Amino acid sequence: MSISLSRPMSLAFSLPAVIAILPFLGACFYIFRFSISAEKGVIDGYSIQAYIDLMTPFFGRSVWLTLKLAFVATIIAMMLAVPLAFLLTSLKSPLARRCLTVTILLPLILNLLVQAYGWILLLGPSGVLNSALKALGIIERPIFLLFNETGVLLGLIQTSLPLAVFPIVSSVRGLSQEHLEAASSLGASHWRTFVDVTVPLLRPGLVGAASIVFAFNASAFAIPLLLGGRRVQMMGVAIRDMISPLFNWSGAAAAGMILITLTLIVLVFSSWLVRVTSEKVRG
Amino acid sequence: MSTTDTHLHIDNVSKSFGNVQALKGVNLEIKRGSFVCLLGPSGCGKTTLLRIIAGFENASSGRLMLDGTDISQMPPHKRGFGMVFQSLALFPHMSVAKNIAYGLKLRKVSGAEQRSRVEELLNVIELPGIADRPVSALSGGQRQRVAIARALAIQPPLFLLDEPLSALDAKLRDNMQIELRQLQQKFGVTTILVTHDQHEAMMLADELVVLKDGEVYQSADPATVYQKPANSFVADFLGAANLVPANVSKDGHVMVLGQEIACDTDHPAGTSLSAAMRAEHIGLIPVSKAKGHPVGAVKFLRDLGPSTELVITVDGQDLRVRCDNATVPDLSIGAQIALSLDGTRLSTFKA
Amino acid sequence: MRVGLLPTEGNSTYRFTVLLLATIGILISSLPVIVVTIMSFSASDNTGFPPPDLSLRWYWDVIAMFTQEDANSAQSVVDSTVTSLLVAFIVMIISTIVCIPLAYALARGDRRIRDGMELLFTLPLVFPLVILGIAFLLIAESLRMDIGIWRIVIPHVALVLPFVLRNCIGAMNGISVETEEAAISLGASPLRAIWDVVIPLMRAGILAGLIFALIISFNEFTITFFMYTIDVSTLPIWMYSRTVSSLDPSTLALSVFIIVADVVLIVLVDKLIAGRANLF
Repeated sequence: MSISLSRPMSLAFSLPAVIAILPFLGACFYIFRFSISAEKGVIDGYSIQAYIDLMTPFFGRSVWLTLKLAFVATIIAMMLAVPLAFLLTSLKSPLARRCLTVTILLPLILNLLVQAYGWILLLGPSGVLNSALKALGIIERPIFLLFNETGVLLGLIQTSLPLAVFPIVSSVRGLSQEHLEAASSLGASHWRTFVDVTVPLLRPGLVGAASIVFAFNASAFAIPLLLGGRRVQMMGVAIRDMISPLFNWSGAAAAGMILITLTLIVLVFSSWLVRVTSEKVRG
Repeated sequence: MSTTDTHLHIDNVSKSFGNVQALKGVNLEIKRGSFVCLLGPSGCGKTTLLRIIAGFENASSGRLMLDGTDISQMPPHKRGFGMVFQSLALFPHMSVAKNIAYGLKLRKVSGAEQRSRVEELLNVIELPGIADRPVSALSGGQRQRVAIARALAIQPPLFLLDEPLSALDAKLRDNMQIELRQLQQKFGVTTILVTHDQHEAMMLADELVVLKDGEVYQSADPATVYQKPANSFVADFLGAANLVPANVSKDGHVMVLGQEIACDTDHPAGTSLSAAMRAEHIGLIPVSKAKGHPVGAVKFLRDLGPSTELVITVDGQDLRVRCDNATVPDLSIGAQIALSLDGTRLSTFKA
Repeated sequence: MRVGLLPTEGNSTYRFTVLLLATIGILISSLPVIVVTIMSFSASDNTGFPPPDLSLRWYWDVIAMFTQEDANSAQSVVDSTVTSLLVAFIVMIISTIVCIPLAYALARGDRRIRDGMELLFTLPLVFPLVILGIAFLLIAESLRMDIGIWRIVIPHVALVLPFVLRNCIGAMNGISVETEEAAISLGASPLRAIWDVVIPLMRAGILAGLIFALIISFNEFTITFFMYTIDVSTLPIWMYSRTVSSLDPSTLALSVFIIVADVVLIVLVDKLIAGRANLF
C-alpha cells in the first residue's frame, strides 16, 4: 500500500459521510435517553420505570411471537436461499441470470405496500388461492390465511429472501471449484459433497446471511402491520401502538431498546460464531 | 558540470517499515544518460528504492540529490519522473493518444503540440495509427510500448521502470529488451529499471546494482559483476555458479578440489576461501590426459542443442558444467571425467 | 462444469430438491407482483380472482388522478409524487457525494479506520426501522422547527448510505493504486489524479449507487410513515391512506407503474455492476 492517505486527509474525506450519518447516531442515542426518562411524554429525569412497565404478559407474548416468527422465517428463507444461490451462480445465460436477479431483488426494494397488496390478492377470502382451491373442490368455504401468522410469515420470507440470497451468492463464488471436484472425484455423491464439503465451506457466509435475515425479520414493521392487522402483534407493531393510540413515548423507546438489544445479541453471537468456525476451517 | 557528471546521487538512504529494515544505508551515484538496473531477489528492497526515487515512499533517512539539489521532500508529481509500472497502469478509460498526452495536458501543452508529440512517439515505438484505439484493444507488447511512450512523453529527467516486462512471455520479453535498450539510447534519458531477472539486467544495464536484504552487494558494469562477483551471493545470483571451498596454498595460488591453481588472490597462505566457478568455465578432459586434475563421475547429462548441461560429482560435491557441443567428449552417465579449471576465471571470497 | 452445486445432468434427488426449493423461492418472490399486475387489468370493481374480464380502465383512472386535481382530497397524488421524486433525488445526490470520498478514504487509508467505518455504515441496515422512525419523529418534534422535506430527506440519507457506500467501495476495489500513481508520476497532484483517474473509473459503481439510493428512497414506507405531515407526504403514504380500509384496483394500476420503474432501474444497476460487485 503506497498511496496511503495521511490520517488528517483520511478524516477529511470521511467527514461528509460522518455528518450525513450523525442524525442516525443522534436518533439511536435519543431513543436510549428517552427509554430511561422518568416522564412518559418528555425527556425528564432518569428512571427504569418504562422497562419495568413492559413486564406484562402482553408484551412478553409480543416478544415471543417476534422471536418465533423471525426464527421460522429465517430458517425457511435460508432453505430457499441456498438453492437459489446455487441456481443463480450456475446459470450460464446472462439474460436468465439477470431475470432471476431482478425477481429475487425486487421484493427487498419494491414499495412494501405493493407487495402487501399482492399477498392480500393471493391469500384473501376471494383471492387466488381460495378461488383455486374452491374451483378444485378441495374446500367449500374460504380458509383464512390473511391477518394471521401464516400471511405475516409468507411476507417476511418474501421480503427477507434477497438479504439471504446475495451474501450466499458471493460465498458460493468464492468457493473453490477444486474442493467440490476433489470430493466428487473421491466418489462422494452430490448429497455427501453438499453435507461434507459445501456446507462447511459456506458456513461463515450462511451464518452471516442468516443473522442479517433474522435481524431484519425481528424488526419488521410494515409487513406485520399490513398483513397481520391488529391480531399479529409483532414488536414493531406493538411499539407503534404504544405511540399512536397510547402516547407512551418512553415505553415505546424502552421496547425499542429491547428489540435493538435482541437483534444486536443475535448479530454479535453470529459474528462470533463465524470467527470461531472460520478459524476451524482454516485449521 | 563535473566530468563524472553524476545525475542522481542516492546518499545513504535507509527505509524501515515498522521493525523491518527494507533499505540499509544505500549509496549510489547514477551517471547522466546511463541505464541502471536494480537487481535482486524478491524482498531485497529494489522496488522500495525505486519508489523512494519516484517519491511514492519517503526515505527514513538519507537524501536524494538530483543535479546537486536535494529532492527528498519533493512530492512525486513535482518530480516529473516518467514511470512504467509492473501492471503498466494504463488508464483504461482513455484512448492510446489520451494516455500518452495526459502528462502533456497536465503541463498545459497546446492541443496541436500534444497531437504532434503523440504522433511522433507512436512512430518511435513503431505503432503508428493506433492513437484512437482504447487501451483494452491492444496486445501485451503494444501496451508495453504505449506505457513507455506515455512516460517518455513528458521528457522526464529520470525514467523509472518497475519490472515492466515481467508480464510478457519469454520470446516477446527478449524482443522488448532490445527495443527498450534502443529507445533509451535514442532518448539519452537516465534510466533506472528494477528486475529480478539477471538475464534481463545483463541485456539492458550499463550499470548493474545487486541488492540483497536492503544492502548493495555490488555495483558495477554487467561484465565485471559477472566475471568478478564481489561475493558468493552475487556469484550465485547471476547465472548459477559452482561454489566450492578453497584454500590459499601460497601467494597467488589456491587449492580447489585437490588441484593447485594460480589465481588472483591477495589473502595470506592458509586462508579458507570459497571459490566460484561458472558452469561454462569448467572444461572437460579425458581422465588419461589429466594428471593432477580433479576427477569426477557424470551424474546428469543433457544435450540442449547449442550446449550440453552436465552435473559431475567430485568428492561428493555436485558441479554444474556447460560445454560447447563441439568440445564434449563422448560421455554417458557414470563415466569418469577430469575437469580443467581456469584460474583467471575463478572468483574467490573470504568464506 | 460445476460439480456439486447444481449438477447439470442426471435425475438425482439432489438436483430435484435444489430445483424444487429454488422454484418455491422464485414463486414466493414473484407471485405477489404477478398477481398485482394481473389484477390491475381487471374490468371488475372488486378484486376477486380471477378477473371476469380484462380492461385498461384502472390505468385511465390513474392518469385521470394525475391530470384532474380532486379538490376534495386532503392530499393530492400529484403533490405526493412530486415530493417523493424530489426527496429521492436529493437523497441520491447527497448520499453519493458523501460516499465517494469516504469510499476512497476507506480503500486507501488506515486498515483499522476502515473496519470501524464499515461497521458504522452497516448499522442502518440492521437497525429496526420502526425505532428509527420513532426516534426521528421525536427529534423532529422537539426541534419545533419547520424543516420541510428535510424531515424525510435526512432519515432517508442514513438509510441508503450502506447501499451507496457498498457500491462505491466495490468500485474502488477494482482500481489499482498503480493507476493512480501513474497519473501522479506524470505530474498530476494527488487530488487531480483522483479527479482524472479514480472518479472516471468509479463511474459504474457511482451510477449503481445513485440508482440504488433513488429506488430505496422512492419506495421507502416505514420511516416516512412516522415522519410525514399533511404538507410533506410521499407516494407510498398516499397509497397507504387510500387503501387502509379497502383495496381498489386503481391503486393496483399505480403499483404496476412503480413495479415497472423499479424493474427497469434494477436491471440498469445489474448491468452497471455486471456481476462484478455484490449488490449489498
